[in-house]
Amino acid sequence: MTPAGLLLASTLALPLIMVAACIKPWVRARALDLLPFAPLPGLVTALFAPGGALVLAPDPMRMVLALDLPGALLLGGAALLWTGAGLYARSYMKGDPKAARFAVWWLLTLAGSLGVFIVADIASFYLVFALVSLSAFGLVSHEDTPGAARAGFIYMTLAILGEAFLLLAFVMLAAGAEGNPLIGEALASLPGSPWETTIIILLVFGFGLKMGLVPLHVWMPLAHPVAPMPASAALSGIVVKAGVIGLIRFLPLDVGLPFWGHVLTALGLFTAFYAVLVGVTQQHPKTVLAYSTVSQMGFVAAVLGGGMAFGSPLTGDLAAFYALHHMLVKGALFLGVGVTAAGGRRTLWVMLPMAALALSLAGLPLTSGALAKYAAKGLMHDDLGAALASLAAAGSTVLMLHFLRLVAAFGKPEATMPSAGLVLPWAGIAIASLLAPWLLLETVTGYAPATMLGLDALWKSSWPIVLGALLFQLLRRFGNRLPSIPEGDIVVLAEATTPAIARFGTAIERADAVLRRWPVAGAALLVIVLALGAALRVGS
Amino acid sequence: MSGDAGFLLVLALMLPATGIVAMFAAPMRAPERLAFLLYPPTLAAVVAIAVIVGRSEAALSYTLGGWSPPLGLMLRADGAGAALMVMSAVIIGLVGLSALGAFRTPEGTSEARQPFAFWALLLALWSALNLVFLAQDLFTLFVALELLTFAAVPMVCLNGKADTLQAALRYLLFALVGSAFYLMGVALIYGAYGALDFAILRVVMREDAATALAVALMIGGLMAKTAVFPVHLWLPPAHAGAPPPASAVLSALVIKAPFFLIVRLWFDLAPYHGAPAANLLAALGAVSILSCSLLALRQVRLKLMIAYSTVAQVGYLFLMFPLATSDMPWETLGWSGGLLQIVSHAFAKAAMFVAAGLIAEALGHDRIDDLAGAARAAPVSVFAFALAGLSLMGLPPSGGFNAKVMLISGAVATEQWWIAVVILAGGILAAGYVFRVIGKAMADAGEGVAITPVPRSREAIPLALALCALVIGFVPLQPFAYLAIGRSTGVMP
Repeated sequence: MTPAGLLLASTLALPLIMVAACIKPWVRARALDLLPFAPLPGLVTALFAPGGALVLAPDPMRMVLALDLPGALLLGGAALLWTGAGLYARSYMKGDPKAARFAVWWLLTLAGSLGVFIVADIASFYLVFALVSLSAFGLVSHEDTPGAARAGFIYMTLAILGEAFLLLAFVMLAAGAEGNPLIGEALASLPGSPWETTIIILLVFGFGLKMGLVPLHVWMPLAHPVAPMPASAALSGIVVKAGVIGLIRFLPLDVGLPFWGHVLTALGLFTAFYAVLVGVTQQHPKTVLAYSTVSQMGFVAAVLGGGMAFGSPLTGDLAAFYALHHMLVKGALFLGVGVTAAGGRRTLWVMLPMAALALSLAGLPLTSGALAKYAAKGLMHDDLGAALASLAAAGSTVLMLHFLRLVAAFGKPEATMPSAGLVLPWAGIAIASLLAPWLLLETVTGYAPATMLGLDALWKSSWPIVLGALLFQLLRRFGNRLPSIPEGDIVVLAEATTPAIARFGTAIERADAVLRRWPVAGAALLVIVLALGAALRVGS
Repeated sequence: MSGDAGFLLVLALMLPATGIVAMFAAPMRAPERLAFLLYPPTLAAVVAIAVIVGRSEAALSYTLGGWSPPLGLMLRADGAGAALMVMSAVIIGLVGLSALGAFRTPEGTSEARQPFAFWALLLALWSALNLVFLAQDLFTLFVALELLTFAAVPMVCLNGKADTLQAALRYLLFALVGSAFYLMGVALIYGAYGALDFAILRVVMREDAATALAVALMIGGLMAKTAVFPVHLWLPPAHAGAPPPASAVLSALVIKAPFFLIVRLWFDLAPYHGAPAANLLAALGAVSILSCSLLALRQVRLKLMIAYSTVAQVGYLFLMFPLATSDMPWETLGWSGGLLQIVSHAFAKAAMFVAAGLIAEALGHDRIDDLAGAARAAPVSVFAFALAGLSLMGLPPSGGFNAKVMLISGAVATEQWWIAVVILAGGILAAGYVFRVIGKAMADAGEGVAITPVPRSREAIPLALALCALVIGFVPLQPFAYLAIGRSTGVMP
């Protein structure tokens, strides 16, 4: 086994070994202490093993790990945020009687979320994707409240639905191949497949659900806010990226499919604006952050669509670069909400970095957001798409200013010093979010860092902010006239069908009771035999 | 291959049967000791058969007394039969271990009714199962099925309570109706061809109305015994009312025997019976999956939920018929997927029933809504239940996942989309009923909930069963050569 292979394997193995170790009561008692260490092999792998590959099990069973550039970017960012959030959780969750259970779900989600970035064959991808999807349920529903139960239920229903879409898509992709093909091999057969349209629709549904593309976003504003703070950071920062890597890995990005590219762009841009519009009506900072994630993932989908329309070979790398920026910034913002809640509201040293982080999502010059947006917009080849993407940044500005106003009112009024266990991980992730994109810019995008200081780049990233700030003034003025929209917006419509579903269930039960009566069952058997006899006669 | 090794087939049938006779003839102090004394040699015989079949890549056969059919009887283990015999042996062993607590002969008494009945019935059931997997003619198979039914029915009412007696009677009567249908079919076949042996019938069978009716009667009768919707009336009360180890064996193994016989009638008598009949069987399977999964979602009691889930999971088996339609159906994904579903459901369901038994023991009831605290009282059992649930939902890693992927692949390859959609919808509903239980079980118990912790050693058994279902999830996703052994040559060696 090569060193790179060993690193890849340990990325998955260490968190799972930790889960197994939780069988022992003395490990369970200090399970929270494990959390910061679990992602470390992943971090090392992202730094030293790009290009590495490992065949864990040969054909025909096949389990192959490999690390390409998009995978490495997201793996590194995710491992970093998992480490920071893990340190944060050690303080935040201390004294929680269910801490051990929380830690087990955390480790499982972590293993799955890192796994999606490094597996290369279809069956293993499905396995780790299911692992991250389903384990996140434990984080969503950790607090035993009615709100968490509802969020957990809706999350689970949609997650399972997404799994079903993806399973069918994967089976159709692999249909021509024997056994379990590599993702790349299966993808090569997609263009020209008689089921191309169906497969792409299923993939966009399955992965779009994880990313929160409208109208499949409804679970996110419910699920992300109810989780404990560090878990919200992981869910909104990392877990949604399973959908991003899915689209990067499974869509034929470099072939050039103009129609599907434009569809994805349209869907993404609609999501980006829709989430801003609903987000500004929300009154809880974590909910606003969740809507912001929906909006940002819409932007990523739009960019992916733009790249796919023209078959740009850089599409995956640039989308991953943007996702890395969002991962760290959103993680830091969620952790920061916890810091302000613990008593940093009046303090400038908390609010200033929070403002910088928040506006980074809108592309504030010199921040990671400006870099990521500049690079990603290179994929938007048509003017309309590019203009709308810039307008989306203005929308993000409004949403983030709204968030800052809410978070400023969120903490306790008396300024107390939050514990170092919360502040240091938050600060670490915040600094990393600022630095990482600068360090990676040239390697990934080919732009020299100096480009970002040029007038063109500065202007491109400034005007949406200015426009957004102006719009925010309007919101402040007339915001009280906005309707109040419940968290999860259109999910309420879906929930309205509950009585009808219950009635359907009752009807099925009644039918079953009738069918289980002797004369009916006997007659049914006779009918089956006669029908079968007739069918056999017809068929032969 | 035959000769000396063929005698192993006789051992697989006779060793458990000897145990029953011994229990009556020499009432030892504890029938369970006798059962466990006979278990290792029988298991060894079954495993040896499976290994020999795999090594020689040919069926292992034995003609009783040297008389060839149609005069004599032949036993024959092909790949699929051998695999199912190993599955049955492993499950019977593990479930037997789990029953040691409830069905141990009390100290100081020479025999007690319940333990004696349980162990004798378990051995009879095992012998009957092996006969179903080995027999080669329609009448011996009838005998095997009857033996199986008569061993299974009393297991339902071991506790002698009125409601379980009623459930057992229902089971018995409907099984008898099924037997009558099957026997009518056999009589028609014998009248038309004067033969009952598979190898002979395969050559002489014609495509006429009488044959179609005969096959339909036999398959219909067997469907009643397998319990597919809408002829499932007996299964929920019987499987939910039986003691947990008995439920495990009934749901995991007993209903699989008539289904395997349907498979044999379908694929071994004539290569292919045509699309309309295959689609009819699959449609009944689909209705089973959807309606009984929904019903499982609405059950109040855990064991009834598991029982309805059994009817739903049996539905998946019937989906294999339109998917295995080539000239060599046993080389299709549909065939391998269907048989894999038999095996993975058997392990998963056995694990679930045993785990549910331990949970009910810990809490004193099995009402799903009041399961809070179960994860604290019987953590390993709840974990085993969840692992087994993976297999029912069709999530990886589990045998159920591989089986469903194979069936979906088969459906996609032949563009029978409705089958793929039904499988996926069934998985979503299964997730609903499994998570409902897990969610309640993970919740904290309120004040005043009395909990009797269960010994960890007993909880290891459902975990072992669930891990078997999980390990099957690592088989490759392609047709298994082993399950095709001995099928292509239907003619006698």
